[in-house]
Amino acid sequence: MQSNLAPVAEAEFSPLLVAKGITKTFDRTRALQGADFELREGEIHGLLGANGAGKSTLSKVISGHYTLDSGDLSYRGHEIRLRSTRDALRIGIAIVMQETSLVPDLTVLENIFLPELGRPGRLDYSRLRQRGQEILNDLGQGDSLPFDWEVRRLSSAQKQLVEIAKALGVRAKLLIFDEPTASLSPGEAERLFDIMARLRDTGHGLVFVSHRLEEVFAITDRVTVLREGRTVMNARETASLSQADLIRAMVGAELGAIYERKESHTQQNHAAVALEVRNLSSTPAVRDVSFAVRKGEILGIGGLVGAGRSETVEAIFGLRPRSGGEVILNGKKLGADSPKTAIRAGLGFVAEDRRTQNIVPDLSVKENLLLAHLGAHRGFFCSYASREKKVKELLGKLGMPEERLADSSMLNFSGGMQQKIIIARWLLLEPNVLILDEPTKGVDIGTRASIYAMLRDIAAQGVALVVVSSDFEELLGLSDRVVVMSDGRTTADLPSAMLDEESLTLLAAPRTSMVRNTEMLNELARAHGGSGFWALLEHDRLICLNAVVSNPALDPGFKAGEARELSATRIPEALRLREPIFVPEPDGSRTTLVVPMTSPRGHDLGWVGLSLPTDRPLPAPETIKSRIDTMAATL
Amino acid sequence: MATNTLDRRAPASPIKKIAQRLEVRMLLLALVIAIGLSLLSPYFLTKSNIFNLLDQSVVIGIVAVGMTFVILTGGIDLSVGSVAGLTGIILGLSLQHLPIVPAIAIAVAAGGFIGLISGTLITVFGLAPFVVTLGVMAIGRSLAYIFSGQTAISNIPMAMQDIVYTNILGIPSNVLFLLVLYLAAWAYLTYAKGGRTIYAVGSNKEAARAAGLNTTFYAILPYVLSGAFAAVAITFSISQLLSADPLMGNGMELDAIAAVVIGGASLFGGRGSMFGTLIGVFIMVMIRNGLNLMGVSPFWQGTAIGTIIILALLVERLVSSRISR
Repeated sequence: MQSNLAPVAEAEFSPLLVAKGITKTFDRTRALQGADFELREGEIHGLLGANGAGKSTLSKVISGHYTLDSGDLSYRGHEIRLRSTRDALRIGIAIVMQETSLVPDLTVLENIFLPELGRPGRLDYSRLRQRGQEILNDLGQGDSLPFDWEVRRLSSAQKQLVEIAKALGVRAKLLIFDEPTASLSPGEAERLFDIMARLRDTGHGLVFVSHRLEEVFAITDRVTVLREGRTVMNARETASLSQADLIRAMVGAELGAIYERKESHTQQNHAAVALEVRNLSSTPAVRDVSFAVRKGEILGIGGLVGAGRSETVEAIFGLRPRSGGEVILNGKKLGADSPKTAIRAGLGFVAEDRRTQNIVPDLSVKENLLLAHLGAHRGFFCSYASREKKVKELLGKLGMPEERLADSSMLNFSGGMQQKIIIARWLLLEPNVLILDEPTKGVDIGTRASIYAMLRDIAAQGVALVVVSSDFEELLGLSDRVVVMSDGRTTADLPSAMLDEESLTLLAAPRTSMVRNTEMLNELARAHGGSGFWALLEHDRLICLNAVVSNPALDPGFKAGEARELSATRIPEALRLREPIFVPEPDGSRTTLVVPMTSPRGHDLGWVGLSLPTDRPLPAPETIKSRIDTMAATL
Repeated sequence: MATNTLDRRAPASPIKKIAQRLEVRMLLLALVIAIGLSLLSPYFLTKSNIFNLLDQSVVIGIVAVGMTFVILTGGIDLSVGSVAGLTGIILGLSLQHLPIVPAIAIAVAAGGFIGLISGTLITVFGLAPFVVTLGVMAIGRSLAYIFSGQTAISNIPMAMQDIVYTNILGIPSNVLFLLVLYLAAWAYLTYAKGGRTIYAVGSNKEAARAAGLNTTFYAILPYVLSGAFAAVAITFSISQLLSADPLMGNGMELDAIAAVVIGGASLFGGRGSMFGTLIGVFIMVMIRNGLNLMGVSPFWQGTAIGTIIILALLVERLVSSRISR
């Protein structure tokens, strides 16, 4: 391998991998449509993008899980064609995934050297043990893995370390980390970054795929952003970028274009609350979720993949055990014991995965349509005839001829028609609240519009709808109000007219600092009897990430998730000056300190503000500033 | 737009639809076997042999009803043979002290109770059906020997014979019972909420639960029925032989499973029917009967039956992949 190294022109920056114009299509969805990517030796390269932008697909093309449809891939100056992950591993490309490539019943040592087990000949365990120890020493983790334990006994962080050691065991030069911190605690993530930095310093090329902007800023050297399968920001120096730059590239919207949505569904809804969720938790995915939805309202639940949205709605419906909080349906507490209880109380639920959670393949179309009826029905026989009239009415709306009911399988229908039948399954029961998890997943664009129309129609009849969606455009277009979730918590609850894709992306991004930041804002606001906020400022615009108001008179004029022109807030003067002192507003209502928050590597994490009444002695700005700095330094 | 969003494939013609039904193809196979055997042995199609065939179908046929229910949920019950043996001994012992009806009730309740234990272990505790029923199979046979004192119970009251040898409308009572049982089971599986739930549980348990169906209850019920029907089946055997032997029902599970599978049920659940199972039972009994008529040694019969089952399913697989294309 050493012999045919390409001549090194720039010793410092030789490209390890270059991908040009990669395309990849699955069935009908075009996951990649001309993606470019370049990775150097000795760098950590962030690969970013919104849900479905193609990050994971590109990672899997590079690591040989998928073969590309068209485009060029070259590794160390040679064109390569990967037919399998073995091909990729042989030349030194490895992917570190979440515990997927480990064999739980084999020991740590056997897992690290799994590829060796496939070779003929005897295994020299003492030599393997020695090599394994060397690899761990190189990573600075000399004694953190018990070699003789079965992998099933390890924590997720330890399993990840085994994956990394396994990649180094085959002398991988290029390592892809796909959302590596998703199941790690902050301390474990810190240790992982330490390992990644060591790998970079020993000349490895690392790809870091993540939703977490703070981590991207903390660890990467350059960043590439994908949108809709194309590269929209190609290998820019991380140091030259701001959070807003990245979000703009991910979303594709022009900053400053705060458009007011002028659609009928922005009007206030004063109908009775149909479903209320208070501090719901279902460990580990759901930690603290609260929201309410009124009759006739469409409530969107937004967030990134892994935010705990599906788990939340499953816990509401009784498909998943709850560990805390309560659910109130039509003023009555709803137990968590089984879906049957929820259905009889007036709840309906279209689960995310049609094939595994909704369709019963061996029953006819008619019986699939009547399945929820069968579940809710009390009696010995099926009593399908009792729903005949309603079935006919629904079929008319769906545009499906009645004779197709007798079809023996749902699977002969298109995805869109399958979805409509599943939705109709619940409408037959005339529920008070209908929850839909990714209602247009795998549905072609043409049919989507008719599903949206169907949902609006259902809401117009007074049904409360809760729609979970990863497609922010769909979420904003369909919902009256959006609840944003991140890391298992609700982080914002706003009318969709006040949101755009950009602010939604900002709110949805999981922030390691959010919990501690909220704590700090709460303490500051309470201790001094004022209000605190955390916001990003750019030009003359503010995007609020979090706001805590302990004194209603001092409301800054914006809430978490809202974007405002500075002049439209109640503290324009302080926001304009941004001086390290308390700045009184001309109207005399309050005085405000605005302090920048900076990460240890010097990145803008936004601004923290504290508004206090003018009639009381003010605390020293320095003590508050040092408090904020101390917190930022530990992020 | 309505039409192109509806279809991915063209609808099948009516004839193709009928041919796509596995039971129909298996019915044809049964006819082929019947014609073949009648050519090989002139005695095969006589009236007395046909009644003989029906009579031989009763015991295995009753066990196959419970087995169909279990396999429809995606499970399997290997314990039916030894449950039959054990409940047969329980019946024999009960008959020493009790009148016929309560004695039978005790035996059937015991069978159902054993099924309840298996079904609960499988459904509530998530154990593999194969392993649980394998364990129960060993326990059942062992208890049958212990309860019986290792010997057959032969002083069964003569009145038990009435269960088998009464003719109603010219049909032997045991055959009539079998036919009524199949009709009732078919009606339950087709029209009752419980029957449809059993299909849904086997086809997609998660979707069934999300639609509010009582998946736990209807996943346990088939094992209860399977155990109870094993006891009913052995009651007919004992009525004919007037003897209860701890070895009774040995190998019965294999015949029952084979009959259900030949009848078109999928071992993954969700697919199968009582009509198919009945044909499967007839195919099994006809082959055994034909081999006896031709004087094939009993030691060779296992080889012959095994080969015929495997060949039938192999041909079926090849044919069905052609038809559904």
